[in-house]
Amino acid sequence: MLETRLGRLVRPARRALCVAAVAAAFAGAAAHAEEMTVSVWAGGTGDADMYRIDAIKMAADILSRQEAIKGHELKITVEGKPYTDWDQFKQAVTLAGQAGSGPNIVVTGHEDIASWAQSGLIVPVEDYLDLDAWPISDIYPNLLKIASFNGKIYGLPQDAESRPLFGWIPHLKKIGYSDSDIAALPGRIEKGDYTLYDMLNDARKMQDAGLVQPGYGFYPRVSNGPDYWQFYVAFGGKMQDEKTGRLELDKAALEKMYQFFIDAVKMGVTRKNHIGTPWDQWYTEVATGKAGFWDGGTWHYARYTGKEGLKDFFGSLMFSLIPAGEKGGVANTLTHPLVYLVTKQKDEHLQEVASQLVAIASEPRINALHAIKSAHLGISRSEAHIGFYADDRWTREATERLLPHAVAMPNNTHFGTYWDVMWKGLQTAWQGQSSASDAVNAVASELQGSLGDAIIIN
Amino acid sequence: MENRKNLRPAFWLLALLSLPLVLMYGYLVLDTVSTTKPGALLPDHFTFQHWRFLWERDAQGVSIWSVTLNSVIFAGSVTLIALSLSLTAGYALSRLNIPFRRHLLAMVLVLHAFPSVTLLVAIFIVLQMIGLYNTLIGVILVFAALQLPLGIWLMKGFYDGVPWEIEMAGLQDGASRFTVWWRLVLPQIRPAIAAVGVFVFITGWAEYVTPQVLAPSGNTQVLSLYLAGLISNDQHFDFALFKSVGLFYIAPVLVFYAFTHKALMSIYGGGTKG
Amino acid sequence: MGSSRRLGLLFLAPAFVMVVLFFFAPTVLTGVFSFTTMSTSTGIYGGDYFVSEDALRRLASEGEDQLAQQLAGTSYKIDSAGIEAVRVGEGGAALADEIAATLAGQHFADQREAERAIKDLNSRPRSIRALKAVVEQFRRSVAGARFADKAGLYAAVEGAGITLDEAQKEALAGASWSGWHWTVQNFKRMATTPDNARILINTILYVGVTLALFHVGFALVIAIASHYLSETASGIFRGIWLLPRITPSVLFVLLWKWLAWDTGFISRIAALFGAAPRNWMLDTAAHAWVFVVLINGFVGASMGMLIFSSAIKAIPAPLFHAAEVDGASHWQQIRFIILPQLRWPILFVACYQTLSLLASYEQILLSTDGGPGRVTEVWSLAAYHSALQNYAGNLLYGYGAALALVLVVIGVIASLLFLRLFRFKELVTQPRIEI
Repeated sequence: MLETRLGRLVRPARRALCVAAVAAAFAGAAAHAEEMTVSVWAGGTGDADMYRIDAIKMAADILSRQEAIKGHELKITVEGKPYTDWDQFKQAVTLAGQAGSGPNIVVTGHEDIASWAQSGLIVPVEDYLDLDAWPISDIYPNLLKIASFNGKIYGLPQDAESRPLFGWIPHLKKIGYSDSDIAALPGRIEKGDYTLYDMLNDARKMQDAGLVQPGYGFYPRVSNGPDYWQFYVAFGGKMQDEKTGRLELDKAALEKMYQFFIDAVKMGVTRKNHIGTPWDQWYTEVATGKAGFWDGGTWHYARYTGKEGLKDFFGSLMFSLIPAGEKGGVANTLTHPLVYLVTKQKDEHLQEVASQLVAIASEPRINALHAIKSAHLGISRSEAHIGFYADDRWTREATERLLPHAVAMPNNTHFGTYWDVMWKGLQTAWQGQSSASDAVNAVASELQGSLGDAIIIN
Repeated sequence: MENRKNLRPAFWLLALLSLPLVLMYGYLVLDTVSTTKPGALLPDHFTFQHWRFLWERDAQGVSIWSVTLNSVIFAGSVTLIALSLSLTAGYALSRLNIPFRRHLLAMVLVLHAFPSVTLLVAIFIVLQMIGLYNTLIGVILVFAALQLPLGIWLMKGFYDGVPWEIEMAGLQDGASRFTVWWRLVLPQIRPAIAAVGVFVFITGWAEYVTPQVLAPSGNTQVLSLYLAGLISNDQHFDFALFKSVGLFYIAPVLVFYAFTHKALMSIYGGGTKG
Repeated sequence: MGSSRRLGLLFLAPAFVMVVLFFFAPTVLTGVFSFTTMSTSTGIYGGDYFVSEDALRRLASEGEDQLAQQLAGTSYKIDSAGIEAVRVGEGGAALADEIAATLAGQHFADQREAERAIKDLNSRPRSIRALKAVVEQFRRSVAGARFADKAGLYAAVEGAGITLDEAQKEALAGASWSGWHWTVQNFKRMATTPDNARILINTILYVGVTLALFHVGFALVIAIASHYLSETASGIFRGIWLLPRITPSVLFVLLWKWLAWDTGFISRIAALFGAAPRNWMLDTAAHAWVFVVLINGFVGASMGMLIFSSAIKAIPAPLFHAAEVDGASHWQQIRFIILPQLRWPILFVACYQTLSLLASYEQILLSTDGGPGRVTEVWSLAAYHSALQNYAGNLLYGYGAALALVLVVIGVIASLLFLRLFRFKELVTQPRIEI
């Protein structure tokens, strides 16, 4: 026991030796068995997401078999490290990357690509992969675009998801919706016919009818997350100017979005202090009909039907895009794919192997294991044709209905600052510390000060 | 005392103010062995299932015992290092004739003002330069260093309280300063050593931020990080398990405290005199 | 003289090394960082010349829009220089000949097209990495490329058929440099962000209120009250109040949340009286402040409590006996015996804890995280947020360092003031043995 402890203490030194040994082996005769260790760190990864790492292990097995057939003995050891927490994960990846002791492969949100590519922490997988070859040729182009920065594909999407609006069907029925009305609702939302304010009104009706407690009519996400950008987009906001690639703040849209949450509080359908509610309380409540409407995630399916014990998912939950803010506006949903990224290594061969592993792990059959296990959506067209995936009603319907309308956050080094300030503003407005327009003005002036030209404010 | 009756209000005032703590810790213990229906005040079901982490590994194959061992190593080493360095430096500052003594002593107090946690990124760079980033040894050194200002300050205070006559006698018998310190002075401040040791150990046992930032690879995971991981994100949130692990985490400290609180009290007797 | 001094230095050395390594060096580094643009996206060490879209945009905004336009866009040209490079390089003669025979003179606007053309050849490289290396030989543009040094950058620009004058060279190098550079922008930003004034006020409020109410005030109350209680009762109370100190903050804060959440204990009790559940911790700014002060106060009260208790214990018992004989009430005893004796301990605790509170943020981070809105954000938490937390992976080391530096300066000034207050010279008696 003590020996393994000591081993851990001297580990970095050992790893350096390992790299040196690999490099030496590579420089020498390639006929010798080559051994390498590939480490994978995955952020926000709980028990259901272990295929993020296991897929790389499977890929390593396949790759070494391929190499063996070609006459080259390659032994790859995959060291996986899941982080349940995002902050710790990002600190770890960035600082360890600086120290040169980072992992070979990271699984993270696509929004990290910009900063990490800019600093040279990660390398484009495009440099090591044939984009025309399967499975990359088969991955949804919009997901590949989300994994790109500066015109290069930096990572491969690891999963897709989307953040729909959920409604509790039994409550909808009690406030006068017929079965066919409910079936038609997602379509109306998609067309921009049913708006966010219509939703608030229905939420109010549910409360007035005593179906849900005050403040539970509209019961959104309880912590900061990409979800909140959907509401900005719903009011016509844009996060990035397509043409110049600069960030964009649409003050009018942001004000309407802030006003929407202020109004929700004013109508009593959302609690003023909603943010900060514990997650497990929230899950239990939404999965048991304590709330009317909420924005969730496609992966919530696993939790609702699993731990929370929701039996009749499709009979209880209406799901749709996030409605437009105003009549005639555009409904949307946000997809926030995680991506496999390959970090820069002293030995380029490691980057090459890591990229190959990532490509193999993205093959539909392997990716489907993660998708179904964690209730995420697939990343490629052929994945939808795999029985295992297609037989799953949830992934199939969610893919068809939501993904085509999905927007994504931009890959821009300054987006984190923008996000931080937007969220601060939303909280002050929501909690009644300032009016929507004051909050927006504060956001605009802070962004002007900290980002200058990097953001267009209009 | 004849007017003990007048003390009733004081007692009840204290009791009232302590109530939140009593409730929180009382329910902490209760909740780990029972389940409560949502909204109910009292549990309705007795169970040991929240304690299954003791014999099961978690989904990532991590056993609580290896994490605990890390915590023991961490807190133990920090205590050992911080204590030895405070003992020597405190003696030097209290008794030995060193240049800039006053300035050095003032510096020790000023050091405490450095918001070490906000210097973490810079500390990271130093650690990385000496090759100890992402190692348990590195975090131990950093955290031990962070304990030094208080440790040295307290130790200096304790040494100040040791009568000079003891050392004079030793020196007259021909012993060296070092022998005098080792043989005669250290035994005098044994309670202080225990007090500072206990204090540093408890602080190290509870530490969260330094290991998180400076040794994130997870091979060096300590209990505080393991505990935080149980409620860290929306898919990973188990309050009952969290409470049980939490109780498991503080139980040793409570036991430890029960045996050492007398020593801990003495820290403050000596430490503040100067 | 010699032996004492030698031993003194020897005794001091290890602690000194640790302090230099983990206090001074980081502080100096932080000072340096605060004058840089350092962040995750610039990296900490070095950098390279990265002609990214962002760099070209910066170039354009510096008045070189024409140059930026020329540099934008990629182009690949199958020319003889490239073919020769392939021949002597990894590609080999066969491939070079085939390229010369089939593709010579062709232009591609896009790397992927160029790759496809070469991929179709019979003698194409076996690995994708080698293929990319071959294609790279024909690149005649710089957009999207990285260069280790200026010379490489200028050469590549010239290879693309663009001549630069000195000013343009400097502008291009400046705009495309991916590492950090010196700036005073962090301090400007700090001074102009309206939030920061509020955060500063928050910090003063937080330190002052917590200190007065708990670290000193409440600590005194327990210490004095437990002095008059029986040994058992006072032992129990002291034990209870030490619990927060020895409980890890992750757990301690969660216990408060358990008390204060919507489904928490307070709400459940209140529900018995018909009150609607609410999040007591985050309901309003006032609620949040009460909890922030309570949480930190409960943790911090123990130190004062212990110090004051032992100081009271040290008061000679005859003083109390005499007072009781004189018929002094408890209040009079406190007023005329205890408090005067506690002057120095109180001052010590106040000073020490001011510094601790200034630097502390962990409990706030875990409980309100500065919310709701930003009403409970304090300076050290803001520094942590900037330097170690970012939603899009871009930790702002430079700005965070500037914020941290402010705390260092305040802390040092405050502690120097305290040292004066303590009449520091009196604390340091000269050693009586000079051997």
